[in-house]
Amino acid sequence: MKTKVFTLLVMCAILVLGVVVPAAAQDRWDGADDLPVNPLACPVAEGETPEEPAAAEPVPYNGGQPANAPDLAGQDIVAVDVPKLVGIGYFAATTLGQQQAAEELGNVSVTTDAPTEANIDDQIAVIDNYITQGVNGILFAANDPVAIAPVLRRALEAGIHVVGYDANAEPDAREWFVNQAEFNGIGKAMVDNMVAEIGADGSFAIVTSTFTTPNQARWIAEMQAYQEKCYPEMTWLETVEAQEDNQLSFNQATTLINKYGADLDGIFGMTSVATPASAEAVVQAGLCSVDAAAAQAPSAEEAVAVVGLATPNAMKPYVIGDNAGCVKSVVLWNPVDLGYAAVYVLRAAVDGTLTSESTSVEAGRLGTLQVVNGSEILLGAPFVYNAENIGDFDF
Amino acid sequence: MTTAAPTVGGRTRLSQSQSLVSRLVGFATSQEVVLLLVVVLLFTVVGNANPRFLAERNVLNIFNGNAYIAVAAVGMTMVIISRNIDISVGSLIGVLGTISGAMAVNGYPIWSSWLVPILLGGLVGAVIGFMVAYLRIPSIVVTLGLLSILKGGLITVTNGEWITDMPADYFLAQMRTPELSLPGITIPAIPSPIIIMVILTLLAALWMRYSATGRAIYAVGGNAEAARLSGISEKRIIMTVFIINGLCVGIAAVLWATQLSIIQSTVPAGLELQVITSAVVGGVSILGGIGTTVGAMLAAILLSAINSALVFINVSPYWFRSVVGVLILITVLTDMLRRRRTQI
Amino acid sequence: MTTTTRPSGDTPEQMSSRLRSFLLRQEVILLIISLLAVMFLAFGSDRFLTANNLLNQGRLLTEIGLVALSMTFIIITGGIDLSVGSILGLCAIVLGVMWDPKGAFAFPLEVAVLICLLVGIVAGFVNGLIIVRLGVPPLITTLATLALYRGLAEGISQARSVRGYPEEFYVLGQGEFLGVPTQLWVLLIFCIITAVVLSRTVFGRATYAIGNNELGARFSGLPVGRYKILIYTFSGFMAALAAWIFVSRVSTTRSDMGSGLELDAIAAVVLGGTSIFGGSGSIIGTIIGFILIQLLKNGLALSGVTTDGTIVVIGTVLILAILVNNFIQRRSGNG
Repeated sequence: MKTKVFTLLVMCAILVLGVVVPAAAQDRWDGADDLPVNPLACPVAEGETPEEPAAAEPVPYNGGQPANAPDLAGQDIVAVDVPKLVGIGYFAATTLGQQQAAEELGNVSVTTDAPTEANIDDQIAVIDNYITQGVNGILFAANDPVAIAPVLRRALEAGIHVVGYDANAEPDAREWFVNQAEFNGIGKAMVDNMVAEIGADGSFAIVTSTFTTPNQARWIAEMQAYQEKCYPEMTWLETVEAQEDNQLSFNQATTLINKYGADLDGIFGMTSVATPASAEAVVQAGLCSVDAAAAQAPSAEEAVAVVGLATPNAMKPYVIGDNAGCVKSVVLWNPVDLGYAAVYVLRAAVDGTLTSESTSVEAGRLGTLQVVNGSEILLGAPFVYNAENIGDFDF
Repeated sequence: MTTAAPTVGGRTRLSQSQSLVSRLVGFATSQEVVLLLVVVLLFTVVGNANPRFLAERNVLNIFNGNAYIAVAAVGMTMVIISRNIDISVGSLIGVLGTISGAMAVNGYPIWSSWLVPILLGGLVGAVIGFMVAYLRIPSIVVTLGLLSILKGGLITVTNGEWITDMPADYFLAQMRTPELSLPGITIPAIPSPIIIMVILTLLAALWMRYSATGRAIYAVGGNAEAARLSGISEKRIIMTVFIINGLCVGIAAVLWATQLSIIQSTVPAGLELQVITSAVVGGVSILGGIGTTVGAMLAAILLSAINSALVFINVSPYWFRSVVGVLILITVLTDMLRRRRTQI
Repeated sequence: MTTTTRPSGDTPEQMSSRLRSFLLRQEVILLIISLLAVMFLAFGSDRFLTANNLLNQGRLLTEIGLVALSMTFIIITGGIDLSVGSILGLCAIVLGVMWDPKGAFAFPLEVAVLICLLVGIVAGFVNGLIIVRLGVPPLITTLATLALYRGLAEGISQARSVRGYPEEFYVLGQGEFLGVPTQLWVLLIFCIITAVVLSRTVFGRATYAIGNNELGARFSGLPVGRYKILIYTFSGFMAALAAWIFVSRVSTTRSDMGSGLELDAIAAVVLGGTSIFGGSGSIIGTIIGFILIQLLKNGLALSGVTTDGTIVVIGTVLILAILVNNFIQRRSGNG
């Protein structure tokens, strides 16, 4: 009998823990890491002088260097590309860019291999195997900047050139990182495009992958900082998680629409999965601001705008296709260019034309790319796809 | 205490002449009542806090959101009742959904892109059933292996390229019934997944309760030896169960693929656990012999409703999984306690 | 060893000796499969069969190995533990949050590790309690706690990862002792302990007895409930230990750590010849099982097979190995 009572007590404790603790709700996002934010200047009306951006201190080179790397300048090299995961359109696009660059250069061969889920442990094991196999270069997009660092350092020790793209690692664990666009640039582009649709007093919600994904966490933190600085009247309703899952993203966006009704003016999609799924949710709810097909177009009060990061092919139906006008602007760098640049940077690092003193690097059709933040190579400002230009892209 | 067959309770007023099966079914129905009450309670409480939760659109979204999981759970219910398990469902849904989308994009007739995945699902089910029933490999091993094979194979074939640009009339799951205006009442347009889910669940429940084969599933799961002695072919039943499960997974895959205008062509993570959870929370005993598809459907709806409710009442999504875990424990515990009360 | 092949009607000792010689055969089969695989893989790449590579692989398999050892006990009793991956995640997060100098607790690292292990023990104990005292089947119990513990990990961490541990903390996961990765020593010690306990002690025999016939074990006076709780608690402890090693290896804590670990561990145990229905199995088999899986992953990658292709091969090997085992088992059973 005593054990029964004890068991029941333990059970109660678990249940209480499980039910009461969640009640401590947290209604908005404050960034998953404690890094400082750096919002860009607000857009200014014509005639006024723009606020001078503070000149950035040049940062000395802070990357790592491979130990005793063989001199392979101009010779054929074998590289492996380890993105966060295989199986999403975004990394299929970076792979495409890498293959284009490899074909142009003629002396680089790249294979892509990564876990099927964005899992830090599996990614480490994959890289480990390629170090043993003995490649000349590793391209990576980190699932976690710290967790991946030890294995990358081992690669450098083994004389392998290491270049990151899309998602960074600790600087000393790789030579270079090809930065698609700076975090604050993305934050500004997203918020400015949203304001253009819903006004400076609109209210919005966010659908992201997970709160732990470093890139998304930084972007959201920068968006928040920029919005507070430039559009304090906007209302930030909520941020929800939806993994990299199409169906879940759709359900979460639908729930947001149902929850806030006319109070919701816009949804930000933070991933290439969440943005098309959010657009789909708006379409299926019949809330597109411009909806030719709908029997009764929603009033401006009810309409929901979608702005987000996504690949053009996935967004065409909502920008120029069957539901044209439902989404007006998609923010993204060109992931094909990103993969392309990464291969050129790797080649330059192997050839010795990109050294710790360099301030720029030649990257084929992309021209000259600048070195920033010590050991990062900037692809450029984020690109905004809209009805005029989205048809020109196919990835 | 942990043996399969719950002893017959004095509280149930069933005469001894009635079969064990119908008494077991009688037990399980109460789990469904409990679930129904929980769903109603949830809707009332959350609806009070935020009336928009009860808006017609949100209710339909909740029912619709997990419909494909409920459909897969119909098959899973039978599999578990027969004392087996299938942890490859998530991968199979991913593979069959991708096949469906690829067929539609490549110009095959729409009806074939709906039908072929379902038939393929049945075929895969037959293979699993054959390995379990005739080659005597435990189902958890077969489906664990199959999970890896399907997951890896899918990426190898598709390279993770998304499928887009399906023809407009491909989207089965986006279709709705016409709105019906009867005198005094308007029946809203119901999305097709809800209708498929309800019809399939009821058909399966009736079949399992009243057909000889359906009842044999309970017999095999409850007491395989006794079933054999009473002339039931255990192997045939297990084959049948896995084939039906495969067909259900096929239907679920088509619903999954036709819901949105992009097919990710990867395996949705953790889907198998959602399907198994639905079946188990629905009152299906993992020890076999007990449970109905109706409970599984209610459980799938409940999970969807909880997901939505957490957003509505501003619970941090960080805690969502804890709530699901506690919920499974509570439902199973009430079920255990109720059953124990009928024991000595 | 004297092997009697008389049909039914043996004394318990003869039964168990027959059983043991039979098990030995299963492991021999698995060992042959493994050796063939190694030979085949060594052809694929000359970098496969090197001490450096193999030791490094040891680093990668330690967490799965530890969890698979305790999983062997659980599966032999006829149970299963799906929550190990989530316990690993929870313990890792607890370790990070308790230590985090900027956090609310900021305990010394030793205390944080102790709490981490304690949380694992409690998590496993709760599993055992629900299974034994409340009679909820293991699969359902651990399915529920799989969600619950992962949810707690996510809730406690609030999606923040804890980094920047002191250098000496990494000795366990990234350091070496006598030229061998530190964590391999830990794994080795536990391999020996569990193997001895399972094959040479009363407790080990009771584990088999519970799996073969739980009711019979109960009637013969074994404290079945207490033993089962102990086994699930041990499983929680091993997951916590794996969490400690994992955090030390990857130098950060995240709430998604260890997801999917349970299936890898179960695959290793089942591949090692332990029957999923309970009653038979061995630690040696499990050890061969998780080593074989890791070697396949590594060797195939070195031979140029991509990760997705490797997953396909491992799934196939799992099914085939059990199929071959079953086939031989039935033939020897008939003969």
